[in-house]
Amino acid sequence: MFVTDIRKEFYEVVANQRVALLVASDIDALCACKILQALFHCDQVQYTLVPVAGWQDLGTAFLEHKDQFKYFVLINCGANVDLLEMLQPDEDSIFFICDTHRPVDVVNVYNETQIKLLIKQDDDLGVPSYDEIFRDDEEEEEGGDSGNESEQSSEPSGKRRRFDEGAVERRIERQREKREWEARRREILFDYEQYEYHGTSAAMMFFELAWVSTKDTKDMLWWAVIGLTDQWVHDKVTHMKYVTDIATMQRHVSRHNHRNEDEDNSLSIDCMRISFEYDLRLTLYQHWSLYESIRNSCYTSCHFKLWTLNGQKKLQEFLADMGLPLKQVRQKFTSMDMSIKENLREAIEESSNKYGMKDIRIQTFGVHFGFKNRFLASDMVHATTALLENTEKDENETDNFIKALESLSRSNLERLHSGMDLAKKKLMAIQQTVASCICTNLILSQGPFLYCYLMEGTPDVKLFSKPMALTLLSKYLLKAFIQSTRNKRCRLLPLIMAAPKDVEKGTVLVVGIPPESETSDKKNFFGRAFEKAAESTSSRTLHDHFDTSIIELKTEDRSKFLDALITLLS
Amino acid sequence: MDPSEVEFLAEKELVKIIPNFNLDKLYLIGGDLGPFNPGLPLDVPVWLALNLKQRQKCRVVPPDWMDVEKLEEMRELERKAAAFTPAPSPYYMELTKLLLNHASDNIPKADEIRTLVKDIWDTRIAKLRLSADSFISQQEAHAKLDNLTLMEINTIRGFLLDSLNCLYKLRSNLQSGSSKGRLADF
Repeated sequence: MFVTDIRKEFYEVVANQRVALLVASDIDALCACKILQALFHCDQVQYTLVPVAGWQDLGTAFLEHKDQFKYFVLINCGANVDLLEMLQPDEDSIFFICDTHRPVDVVNVYNETQIKLLIKQDDDLGVPSYDEIFRDDEEEEEGGDSGNESEQSSEPSGKRRRFDEGAVERRIERQREKREWEARRREILFDYEQYEYHGTSAAMMFFELAWVSTKDTKDMLWWAVIGLTDQWVHDKVTHMKYVTDIATMQRHVSRHNHRNEDEDNSLSIDCMRISFEYDLRLTLYQHWSLYESIRNSCYTSCHFKLWTLNGQKKLQEFLADMGLPLKQVRQKFTSMDMSIKENLREAIEESSNKYGMKDIRIQTFGVHFGFKNRFLASDMVHATTALLENTEKDENETDNFIKALESLSRSNLERLHSGMDLAKKKLMAIQQTVASCICTNLILSQGPFLYCYLMEGTPDVKLFSKPMALTLLSKYLLKAFIQSTRNKRCRLLPLIMAAPKDVEKGTVLVVGIPPESETSDKKNFFGRAFEKAAESTSSRTLHDHFDTSIIELKTEDRSKFLDALITLLS
Repeated sequence: MDPSEVEFLAEKELVKIIPNFNLDKLYLIGGDLGPFNPGLPLDVPVWLALNLKQRQKCRVVPPDWMDVEKLEEMRELERKAAAFTPAPSPYYMELTKLLLNHASDNIPKADEIRTLVKDIWDTRIAKLRLSADSFISQQEAHAKLDNLTLMEINTIRGFLLDSLNCLYKLRSNLQSGSSKGRLADF
């Protein structure tokens, strides 16, 4: 069931209890976790934090902790599956689920006792009504039988045959109705569960809880902003929704900035200041050089087509058009001349309009504390994602999770900077892979979708054995492909990307993303498609990830899986 | 003594806070802490004030001496006088550090206060160094310094006593048996 008053029904219930927090591995979940941890510290609530990377982890974690904990809080996992059936908990375990995955499973919505959803009810859910999915079949049978009996007892036995026929007719009628109802139910459920998409950020939900309890601080506000920006960077929500949520956050930011206005009582420079920025869409440009950032950002790279020689010339023209000397542009942004930095945003916007890039600026937030530290929300998202999916050293996932979680605190700036270095390497690797895929025509059109497979020897392929990195690569690749192909039909196709995940076990990671368009609603149907294809060819797949459009597959079963998909989708 | 021990002792000082919660009187070993009512200021030790502030349960009111004009006056006085003037508070350095690190959003003009307190500290430590230097070079028997705070004493204690010990050893080697310059042991 949906929780209406999050403070009374969730926070006050768990405030005096021990709670188990099961947190998924994405940045929005990390930010939500940080906010909740800060609230728990204020009120000295005992909790245990368990990072979970997939359904198996969730099951194991639940089994380990079910004896000690009665209350479980699940962040960004668990809403899109019948949780009670999967975990088989005891009667008194209560689950609070705050998840952005939609559609929410109908059993989770209509369970009154054990599952509490920390999700806003008007959040674009479209849940079918109770009567359309559930009905008490017992009552119908009993009603029918008692009607039968009373008929039989009130009439003498001579007329029984006639009444029996009447009763049989009624039963046939009832069964036909039931079959029709079931067919309708299957159709409704199929429509409801066909497309997978994302709802409001979990970090924003918990920030609202903090705000309602008047315990919100600027740190929590910043984490909520990072959670929202994560949804935009990884292309999980539509642009409209992002802008609406930014407006909500802007109200909170102005409320917190109210105190800064007073000149007499100005705040110390070490205090955190969050400001609304209409800033450039160049990833990490303030911590890199402008030239590198333009070369490695998806938006600019795709519009200039930087994998071609022509594109590189256009980039040089673009820089010359703005009057920026190459020497300035190639050095670190912080060391660029002040005169250039002052009007940079407006200058770039003007020039980029000439080159067909109308949306080079995006609404976002920046933070500023101390004399040196200025970050944009998207910088932090990239840095933390790189730390979370770090493949450089052989560390297990829990260590990476803890490191990424720590980097979100203001006191761990070193870790944040190391995350930014990793993010730069990742972006450069993505850029090179995209360039090589397009130049060597690795993207094949299979009919209903496009397909690309990264071979094992590809440089940096280890980076792409992680789901978020591979998803980011596929989105960039699709955008670049659309710019480079002449075939109009291919531009409307979705993309399936496969990369080797574990060389020893011989598995590949397969990711499916919806087609790219201006008015895309980001709804992904590959989850169900993958399931059906795996079933029909009995391929050895592992649907472990919380996003159903990301699966692991044995390398040998690749071709028959693809063939099944082609037949399924055409 | 470690500077962190001095800071620990400083945390016993009382500071005014404005809580936002309700609690009855607390009976602790060190004394009673009055009933907590939202919006009504009361005095609590610094350790409790900082704990409550970190849990967002109170607002800290800066002590009277932590004001830009008063500190500027004190700094001028300190620079002019040859001897030590009374310090803003017996634990001014530690309190400044603790309050400005954890509660700087409740203290107006925090950066200027930090600079002023550091200036006062620098002047006093310079005077202390000069005085220690003249004490040793003129081989005085005893000295009396007023208005020093525990943190300043602690800063110079190690160096001064070690150097006096070394001088004693050197002197007793040169003039073995002579009782000139008997120094108090610590």
